Formats: sequence, C-alpha cells, structure tokens
Amino acid sequence: MKLLEQIWVVIIMNLRSIPQRMGMSLATIFAVAAVVGVLLFFLAMGNGFKDTLEGAGSENIAVVTRVGSQSEINSVLSREQINLMSNAPGVARNNEGTPIYSGELYVIVDGYKKTNGSKVNIPMRGLSTDGFSLRDNVAITEGRVFTPGRNELIVGESVLKQFSGFELGKKITFGKTTWEVVGVFSTGGSAFDSELWADTRTVQDQFRRGNSFQTMRIQLETPGDVQSLVDYAEADPRLNIKIETEADYFSAQGDALNNIVYFGWGISIIMGMGALAGALNTMYTSVAARAGEIATLRAIGFSNISAFFGTVAEAIILALIGGAAGIAIIYLMVDGTSTATIGSSFTQVVFSFTLSSELLQQGFWLALSIGMIGGFFPAFRAARMPVVTAFE
Amino acid sequence: MGDVYLIFKNITRKKLRLILTLFATFIAFMIYGVMTSFQSALDAGVELSADDRLVVVNKINFTQSLPISYVNRIQNIDGIVGISHQNWFGGYYQEPQNAMPIFAVQQETFFDVYDELVMPEEQKEAWLKNRQGLLVGEKAAQNFGWKVGDRIPISSNIFSKKSGGSTWDFDVVAIYSAVDPQIDTSGVYFHFKYFDEARTFGQNTIGLIGVRTADPSLNEQVIAAIDDQFANSPFETETVPEKAFTKAFIEQIGNIGLIITFVVLAAFFIILVIVGNSMALAIRERTNEIAVMKTLGFQSGRIFRMVLGESLITALIGGGLGLFMATVLITAVSEALPQFPTLIIDGPIILEAIAIMLGLGLVTGIIPAVSALRLNIVTALSR
Repeated sequence: MKLLEQIWVVIIMNLRSIPQRMGMSLATIFAVAAVVGVLLFFLAMGNGFKDTLEGAGSENIAVVTRVGSQSEINSVLSREQINLMSNAPGVARNNEGTPIYSGELYVIVDGYKKTNGSKVNIPMRGLSTDGFSLRDNVAITEGRVFTPGRNELIVGESVLKQFSGFELGKKITFGKTTWEVVGVFSTGGSAFDSELWADTRTVQDQFRRGNSFQTMRIQLETPGDVQSLVDYAEADPRLNIKIETEADYFSAQGDALNNIVYFGWGISIIMGMGALAGALNTMYTSVAARAGEIATLRAIGFSNISAFFGTVAEAIILALIGGAAGIAIIYLMVDGTSTATIGSSFTQVVFSFTLSSELLQQGFWLALSIGMIGGFFPAFRAARMPVVTAFE
Repeated sequence: MGDVYLIFKNITRKKLRLILTLFATFIAFMIYGVMTSFQSALDAGVELSADDRLVVVNKINFTQSLPISYVNRIQNIDGIVGISHQNWFGGYYQEPQNAMPIFAVQQETFFDVYDELVMPEEQKEAWLKNRQGLLVGEKAAQNFGWKVGDRIPISSNIFSKKSGGSTWDFDVVAIYSAVDPQIDTSGVYFHFKYFDEARTFGQNTIGLIGVRTADPSLNEQVIAAIDDQFANSPFETETVPEKAFTKAFIEQIGNIGLIITFVVLAAFFIILVIVGNSMALAIRERTNEIAVMKTLGFQSGRIFRMVLGESLITALIGGGLGLFMATVLITAVSEALPQFPTLIIDGPIILEAIAIMLGLGLVTGIIPAVSALRLNIVTALSR
C-alpha cells in the first residue's frame, strides 16, 4: 500500500472513532473555540477603534493646536492666532482667493447612554460652514444644517444611536441655554459621528468662551505637506502652536486604544496555553485509547508515519472545528454591534466591533497552531507504539 | 495515613497528564486572579468614596468651570462641616506619557474634606506653608522616584504661565499614604493660589467643590440647598454624592471593562470544564483497579473519599499555584505601569477562588467517586 493511502485510511479511521471519545474531544473543541473567540473579540474591538479614528483623518487637512496639548480639549487658540495662520503659505484658497480654514471650539456636554442611562461626556463642536467642506463625506441624512447665530445643532449618527435625547426636533438644555436639534449628519462612521455640531459664534457666546477657539483646521495646498505652515509658525513668536496633518492627529489619538489589541493577544496566548494543555491531554488519551488499534495496524504492515499523521490530523480537525465555532460565535454576536468608550479628548467615541477577513485568518491560524502542537507530541507516541501492544 | 499515600500515588501515576491538568488549572486561576483584582480595583474607587462627601460641579458638564465665589456662597448652608475647591491641572512629569491626576487645591481647607490622607504632621505643616509645595501620594512618589526635598518641574497640557511656558516648578514637601491600601495614592496636590495667580486664563474659576456634610443623612437636604441656590443662574450647579460621581466617572469607560471581565471569565469556566473532564476521565479509567481494591476489602466509603480527595487535591494545587502566580504578576504590573490602579488580591478574592477550586474538585470527583462507591466487583472485573 502506498504511504499516502495508508495515511488516509488511518485518518478516516481515527475520525470515525471520535464519537467513542466524545467527552474529551468536545472539551478540546470548546477550549479552542473559547480561545479563538476571545482573541477575535479583542481584535474586532481594536479594529473598530482603528476604523473610527483612522477613517476620520485626512492628509489634505492640517490640524492646529496649542503646543503641549495632547488633544483638542486641552488646546486654546486665540482669534489672533487663527487669523495669522490663515495667511500662512501653504493654505489652500478658494476661487475668490479666500483661505479655506475653520476655527473650531470644542466643549463637553452631558449625554445619557441608551443602554443603562449613565451620564457620559459628549463633545459639542462649534464650526464654520468651511468646517463642512474640510471633512470628507459629510452628509446631512435628516433635517437641515444649523443656522448661524441661532441655538441650533446637528447630531452625528453615532450619537443618535448610542445616546438618548438627541432625536430630530428635540430641545436640549445645557446649563441655561436651550438648543434645538435640527439635523442629523453622517461622516461615514468616523469619530466625528460621535459629536454634536453647532455654529462657532453661537457656541462661543452660549458657553462664555469669548473669542477663543481650541483647534483650527486648514485645507492644505499640497496634501500631507505641513512644512511651510510649520516654518511660518516658528518664525512668529505669537504662534505657540503645533501643526500636524489630520491623519497624524487621529492616529496619535488612537494609540492608547491600541493597547486593547495587545491585551487581547496577551490574554489569548495565555489562554491558548491552557487550551493547548487540554488538547494535549485529549490527544494523549486518544492515543492511549487506540493503543491496541494502532499496534494492530503496525503489525499488519502500516508504517509508523501513518500512525503519526493520523493522530496529528485528528487534533487539527478538532481544533479547526473549535476555531470555526469561536469565529461563528463572535461573528454572530459581536460583529457590527457598537459601543462607546472614553477617548483621549475625554469624550465618548462610538465605535463598532468589526471583523475583517484578516482577523478571521488570525483566528484560524491560532486554532491551527493549537491543533498542530496539541497533536504533534501525542503523534510521536503513536508512531513509536510497540507492535507487541496489539497482542496484550 | 496510608490513604494519603495512595491518593498521591494515584495522582502521580500518569505524570504527563497530571502536569497538563495542573497547568490548565494554573492558567485558568491565574487569569481569574488578575481579572478579579482588576475589577475590584475599579470598584474600590466607588466603594471607598466617603458617604458624607459631596461633589459640586457645573451642571453642563464637570469639565466646565464654576466661579470661585460659589465657595463662599455655599459654605454657610446648614449641614456642611467642610468645603474645599480644586481644579484639574492636566499635569505630566517630563514626558506626556507620565501623566498624573494632579489638582490645584484650596490648601487651608483641603484636609477638612479629605481626611483619609495620612502624613507626618511636620510634612503637613511644610506643605501648608510652602506656596510651591507639592503633596504627593505614595504611589506617585514611587512612580516618578520623588522624595521629600526634591524640586521638580511639572508640565501642564492645559495651563500655561503668565511668565511663559507651561512647565511649573514645585517642591516635594509631603508624601501621603492612605488609611486603606486600596485607596489610590497616585494623586498629587498643590496650592490653588500659586496656580490661580500664575495661569494665563481662567482666573477665579474652579473645577470642582468638595463638600463634607455633618452626616450622610443630610446629603439630600444639602444637595437641594446648593443646587436651588444657583438654579437659573449663568452657572448652574449639579451636586452629587462622591460615590455617584466616582461611579459615573468609571462608567465613562463604558461597558468595556464589564465586557472584558465577562468574556475572560466565560473563558475561565470553559477551561475548568476541560480540566474537569480530564480529571474525571483519569478516575474512570481506573474502574478495574477500584474493583480490585474493593475485592481486597477496601470499604466503599474509603474509596469514595480517596477518589474525591484526588480531584480536590489536584484542583487545589493547580488553582493555588495559579493564584500565587496572579499575585506575582499583578505586583509586577502595579510597579511597571504607574497609570494602573493598585491591584490587590485580597481576602474575598482568595476565598472566592478557593470556593471555585473546591467546587471544581467536587464536581469532577463526585461522579467517578459515586460510581466507584456503587461499583459492583463482578461486573467491573468481567468487563
């Protein structure tokens, strides 16, 4: 008999006998499912964060903040600084020659979660009409844009989904001032969808911010090139500011949240070792249970290589079934659901759990590794099973 | 005593299986220990909040400021025995990653409200007297390697100084510890006056007012008195018990903490199922032997105890090692990551873990033990 044929026969035989060792085999499947499930859970979370924050950043836009502030909330810019910067070389201009920029004010207001009613920080951004053109894919999905000078605001889609009280037409009171929701906007799932937007001047007045801003967004003449702006700012002592592309700004904001992914890998590897111990136990038991069988095959001329591969294949198949179960559970339960957490601007960032095919592959490889290692050592024992065992 | 020897012999018969089983139990309890201590550290902030302490913040959101004059207007309200205001400074030491919870506080009244901080009397005096004095928590001091007498710069990511720059100089004059080890001592406090006079914007505004009531039963009444006073003013206030404030703060992180704990604990129980399975199997395999032992005159009860003892001992050894490792790990983590809350594996966590180990031992041992008890010698041997 050819070797491949022998291996095939042994594999089929092993698989057929799995029901006799149902308990242990199920335990391995469970273990691998749990490990793969936990890993994918964390990866999907990290992936969701990344989509939300990276989707928000553009190379065409420069973000200006005060030196030393790590996020918008800590930044302060004066009207004078904004005016100075708008004349910097490298700022794109429209057909009339007016520079395209938006001075923005970022205040934090209270919102309430739909799920448990707990109070959370929601960012409210004051921006000019140019602020809309400085963001990709802004679309008003319901209602209309706020009217400058009036206490009107529009809400991001994610805010509407996660927090209560921001439905179209609702009146909301922040301190003494009342605002009316006149529209809903979407930026295609980016971090901006977690915000409320209103007119800059109105926000300045109603929140007593005088003529101060927190950030400035500038349309760049050359995408990605902020150098001329930086040089300009450095030459003027009044401009104590930091300039970076929006893409860089958001990727820095996402850094802290990336730790979730590291944590996920860490815990999955530790748990994976636990699962591996379980898989090894299962496979050693399987080899022990089939000792007579394996020895008999050897006695009638099957090679020890076929015994080896038969055992490895059994382990791999059990692990892959477990992995598939883990993937399916996470896919059905978690993919697409959204949640919110606090981001580096001290406000809620709403994001979705998103599984990508790349993540599914990582889950698959993890399951496969557990199966291979879990089968390898017991397979050695099977391959070295003395023929005499058959006659005991 | 012969039984213990037999149990030991039985457990170590298949060394490889024993090691694998112990290892899986070890991993499971290690994860359990780390996660529960993490969860308990998160909850500790809420549990350890004083019941007689209230927090007054701007109604719009606690990041908005209040006028400093509010302190005087509140302090004469009946039922208040202490009042002190403070402002978040957004400070970090040398690098932005070395952030710390640092507050500019009204130092004269600070201890009237926050009396859980303990320090030598002369250090307290020194801090009260020194305008640039810094009162540092034990943990913060340890994280940054500060000791009393050091002069250190702290940068703010919010406030710059009139004299230029956003780096402020301080003298470390006092280091406090707390009455309870789980109270977070990573906080740093300095004089509000120094802060208010030197900052470029926001003079005469404060972030938060801490209020101590004479008795927690007066809280409701005091809350109403404060908030009514400022209703319909440009700066409306919201007053809440400190416990609620801390809880709301933690909830900002979202359900993520809860979800992570849930996911990890679910995985923990799955590992236990696997371990249990292989432990049960180890005993089932020995049916023949148990029959032989019975034939030799071993009492059924004695065999029952031995089988159960075997699974209990395995669970306790594996679990105990895991819990020990968890303690080692969290101590290392607490030292390596200053931003983390202090993690402690305390009595309740250990007791809970032991209860789970006993449960695991019982559940996995009971079925084989009962079948051993009932085992009919003739059927067993004729198999």
